[in-house]
Amino acid sequence: MSKKIFIDYERCIGCKACEVACEREHGESMIKVFQFPDLTNVSFNCRHCEKAPCVEVCPVNALWRDKDGAVVVDPLRCIGCSMCVLACPFGIPKINELNKVMVKCDLCADRREEGKLPACVTTCPTEALKFGEVDDITLAKEEMVISNLIGREKK
Amino acid sequence: MAILGIDDTVGTNQKARVFNREEEQMREKHLIVCPYCSVGCRVYVETEDGYPVGIEYVDDIPGIPNKGGKLCPKGNVAFQYAQSKDRLTRPLKKVAPGKFQEISWQEAMDEVAGRMNEIKGKHGPGALAFLGSEKCSVEDNYLIQKLARAMGSNNVEFAGRLCQSSNVVARTKILGSAPQTNPSDDVLKADVVVLWGYNPAATNPVFFGQYVEKAVLDNGAKLIAVDAVKTQSAKYADIYLQPYPGTDLAIILAMINYVIENDLYDKDFVAKRVEGFGELAKTVEEYTPKWAEKISGVPANLIEGAARTVATGGKTAVLANEGLNQHVNGTAAMMALTDLVLITGNIGKEGVMSGAIPGAFNGMGASLTGVNCAQLPGAIPVADEEERERIERAWGLEIPDKPGLHYVAMFGAAYEGSVKALYIMGQNPARSLPDSAFVEKALEKAEFVVAQDIFPTETTKYADIVLPAAAWHERAGTAISSNRRVQWSFKAADAPGEAKPDWEILVGIANALGLGKYFYYSSIDDVLSEINKVIPALKGATPQRLRDDLKGCMFPCSDEKSETPRLFLKGFPTPSGKANLIAPKYIPPGEIPDDEYSFWLSNFRLVGHFHTGTMSFRSKSLEDRWAEGFVYINDQDARKLKVNDGDLVKVETRRSSLTAKVEVTPYIKKGVISMPWHWGFNLLTKDAVDNLSKIPGYKTAACKISKVRG
Repeated sequence: MSKKIFIDYERCIGCKACEVACEREHGESMIKVFQFPDLTNVSFNCRHCEKAPCVEVCPVNALWRDKDGAVVVDPLRCIGCSMCVLACPFGIPKINELNKVMVKCDLCADRREEGKLPACVTTCPTEALKFGEVDDITLAKEEMVISNLIGREKK
Repeated sequence: MAILGIDDTVGTNQKARVFNREEEQMREKHLIVCPYCSVGCRVYVETEDGYPVGIEYVDDIPGIPNKGGKLCPKGNVAFQYAQSKDRLTRPLKKVAPGKFQEISWQEAMDEVAGRMNEIKGKHGPGALAFLGSEKCSVEDNYLIQKLARAMGSNNVEFAGRLCQSSNVVARTKILGSAPQTNPSDDVLKADVVVLWGYNPAATNPVFFGQYVEKAVLDNGAKLIAVDAVKTQSAKYADIYLQPYPGTDLAIILAMINYVIENDLYDKDFVAKRVEGFGELAKTVEEYTPKWAEKISGVPANLIEGAARTVATGGKTAVLANEGLNQHVNGTAAMMALTDLVLITGNIGKEGVMSGAIPGAFNGMGASLTGVNCAQLPGAIPVADEEERERIERAWGLEIPDKPGLHYVAMFGAAYEGSVKALYIMGQNPARSLPDSAFVEKALEKAEFVVAQDIFPTETTKYADIVLPAAAWHERAGTAISSNRRVQWSFKAADAPGEAKPDWEILVGIANALGLGKYFYYSSIDDVLSEINKVIPALKGATPQRLRDDLKGCMFPCSDEKSETPRLFLKGFPTPSGKANLIAPKYIPPGEIPDDEYSFWLSNFRLVGHFHTGTMSFRSKSLEDRWAEGFVYINDQDARKLKVNDGDLVKVETRRSSLTAKVEVTPYIKKGVISMPWHWGFNLLTKDAVDNLSKIPGYKTAACKISKVRG
């Protein structure tokens, strides 16, 4: 399984540090914080689906999966046809107006290359954003729920 | 051929920069302190050929305030503001209203010195006033107050008067010292956290996320939040109190009443370490929770619950900020809160915390260096003869022995004509003082105004001489966080044009004034070394130590090896060594709604902006996301007023009016409206000040609202 960014929205305070960090790294932000009237905030980015519809439909093979499992786009191949925009169930791919090609989250490929975490994860003041294998994240969640239920800390 | 050759070279170089790994290693990173709030987060500014191109998170220095390099949105663009095209780059002289002409540094210095000496000669040193800045370094602030005093004036202030003075006065009178008592890590050990008039999720997000939220969500601490608006911090509260602005004092008095009536106070601590308990008990007798309910609009049972939790819930961190202290009863409120902390024994041990939380990254530093009309470096009262003489000996100068004018009074005096010259470093009083229209008139009336800044502001337009300063990452210097952490910030890039570091400008001015022999510094290290000698609490925070140990140290540090993570473990720095409880009487907040101005008006900060916006409005990433002001109106009030989300309303006080878009919310108290204060809010506020601390009552005003047709 590949690594993904998970959001613990209970922790999110809607400060948008992730958006600003992403904009600084990529020129525009690929992550967006949604704020709801009940004071809940959800930060949302590409899910890097295991069976990614965008990869499936791309007619020119501009979308592919890198070694960490991130779904990334090759801007030199992309023809800006928006098939991926149609296929994505989350509305993630956007067409860059200036370059006429699709842009999306690449889980900070440059930073991962240098052994760093995606910028949004590193910066998140409340650790609402976590980067990891889905199994590790869910196990940690399970552990927390169980230890809260029985009121003990895990060994 | 030559032209082609140059073109080729340019092309080759650019390619090399992208593809050549060796070339890429020319990228440098420089460690700075974030130039925004007082948490003191560390950031690396990355430069290429000396030009800032990015930031990196500081995950390799243990012990810094922002563990793992965490940053809020502002910290993520810690230098973006400075790249704004309207930076001041040359000294300017006003030639006609609104018209400035570039002049040389020499001309500027001569003009400033000439006019200031002339005014001093004609009208005495009391006609001069100086402003230091929470956005300048420890060294800059030390020098501006020394300059003021060398000119014979104690008229030297900074925005600390406007945001924390009530807290400082209250805690100094009771405890002998105002700063935060414990390291931030102790919040993680607390059983109860109180956020009183404080929304760190917006104002100190990294502190909130790394300490408060972890204490509550991970460590099971109980959270009590008190705020007229249910904020992103208050949403985590177990007990949430929603008072009318400025009525918090009633709640605290009632909490003390409940704790004493029900015998819940810490008898051992009170017996051993506190004086004045009897009088406090007597004073609060009349202040029952039922009484407080009538004044504050907070149900008595919630007040009792909060009191019980603070007294019996275990170790309690009491974090209070401007929602509580920026009122004309601010000092009384902070005194009462400090009393509550003391009688419940939540001070002088591990796992608790309380104390002043300055707004900006060096508010603590400006305060400690004596940028205060009544205090000398080291928070020494001007009237303390022995200590004053010690500093006079160190400087070789005579210091005036009477306190000068406080911040608001300076501008009153400028309006009336007794203050004739204002030297303003890194402050924007035209927007930060209450009743902006009056302040602008005062600036206009002043005979001679010098503004030293990085951008043109609402204040610099009234200046006769404008001096261009280096931005924070364009110079080196010391900053002190709200947690008493003294840190060195390195120079990352050159300042544009002829802009200079503030301390260098001040030394130049001192020389031009003929005071050169008192300002003989060849580097910023010389200034800090003098501070190490003059301020005992900073004795061990030497330039060498701060550069060797990048996490800095928590003052007081009596030598280069020591620091003081926790205050008051053994005693209090008072004559008796005990804390002196002061029993305040209830004082109502400033302007209370009446038939004509029927709404309470308050204000708050947004996470994406900072103070009057001189920096953050110029940071595109912030400005794009937090583009304009608005006004929170309670949903029931909105129905009555027939206004909806996005409607324009006029908010009017007895001073002036502002137009803003409505944001309807159930999370603000009925009868109260509130606006972010970044966008000219102080046109609406009143210049009434708290008697003891002279803090203006920013957080309450009476207003009326009307829908704008259009």
